[in-house]
Amino acid sequence: MAEEKEPKRGGFLGVFRDIVYGMSSHEMTRHAVRTRASMEHLFILITMGDLLGIPILPPYYSLRLLPYVTPQIASWKRRMLRERDITDVLG
Amino acid sequence: MSLRTVFEGRPDRRYVMFGGKGGLGKTTLSATSAFWLASHGKRVLLFSVDPQASLSDIFQRDIFGKGPVSIMPNLWAQEVDADRRIRDYQDEIRKKIIDMYGFERVPEEIDNYIAAASAEPAMEESAIFDAVVDIIVQGDYDYYIYDLVPLGHALYYLSMAKVYDEWINKITKLREDMGQYDRVAATMRRQETVEEDKILEELQYIKTRINASSQILTDKRRTAFFFVLVPEDMIILDTRKAAELFARFDVPISGYVVNRVLPPELGRAPSLPPYLRSRISMQEKHLERIRTAFGDQVLAYVPEMERDVTGLPMIERLAERLFGNGR
Repeated sequence: MAEEKEPKRGGFLGVFRDIVYGMSSHEMTRHAVRTRASMEHLFILITMGDLLGIPILPPYYSLRLLPYVTPQIASWKRRMLRERDITDVLG
Repeated sequence: MSLRTVFEGRPDRRYVMFGGKGGLGKTTLSATSAFWLASHGKRVLLFSVDPQASLSDIFQRDIFGKGPVSIMPNLWAQEVDADRRIRDYQDEIRKKIIDMYGFERVPEEIDNYIAAASAEPAMEESAIFDAVVDIIVQGDYDYYIYDLVPLGHALYYLSMAKVYDEWINKITKLREDMGQYDRVAATMRRQETVEEDKILEELQYIKTRINASSQILTDKRRTAFFFVLVPEDMIILDTRKAAELFARFDVPISGYVVNRVLPPELGRAPSLPPYLRSRISMQEKHLERIRTAFGDQVLAYVPEMERDVTGLPMIERLAERLFGNGR
């Protein structure tokens, strides 16, 4: 949010650190976050597959997890059910 | 060995199951053993998850879905109402969603899912399985006696612990791996804390329960499984097959109880009708087969009583025949 204060970085050294982060770690961080998001969707598929008509065992314990994934269900369904094309492979 | 020595010689044993085909006397033997243990000062919970449970019938009281009901000093009986348990569970999930996100009501799609998941046949079985986990992990009683459903189903319930065990271990592992990615991203961005994963906590809770029950059901020291059979051809064959299947799921089979044995002295009566004479001589042959097949694993031959075993006085009489009345 806009009013949130950016942590203060120490002058030249801070800028240098950010540049190094951008050059070296940013891509890895992005990769970690994306992998994490894919795993989240895989996890929902494994536990809530029934929502897409994929019978998953066992519904009793899945329901226990349902409250925690409720906000993600819509985006997960969109991702699972959307059409795929060549750009998916390239992306 | 007898049933009495089996109980007296194994003080660590706390979980006792009686299994067998339908109508052979699982409930009678469960109730009789529970009665005997309770009258020897042990706190006993006798429970059943069968929707057609007969504990209410044998104790001549309606206990269905009422939680543990006191039958006599030290003895409680419980019949699980799976349907009600599922309904309560659904309401609990709905309430949690409403509380967590401040919704006025559960989104339609999610609510439909809750309703659909509960209509699946596996739901009832899982709910029953969870009810049993609830009962056995509590540890309030000296003995838990489980009056099992008929064989095929019983095997299914017992094997569920193993299947769930594997399922839960796998998805917990996946969730832990996800946590690692969270931590990697956080470290690279130089964030100090990672949000706690509520799902992982929930999974670990389920895992502890399933692991605990799975351990109990396969622990030879604490758990005993008794097969109930009667001296009839098909029952002997079925019991042998079932015993092999149960052994495959690591169920600790501790012995066999032969129920409904016609008194042998009846065969010596001078004016016995041919029908009865034939039944008795057939029974002799079957008993011989049972002795050959199960040997000293047969813990008791229970006589066919002159009337149905229902009500405490009749259960007490059978307990005296089965365990002897000495203390």
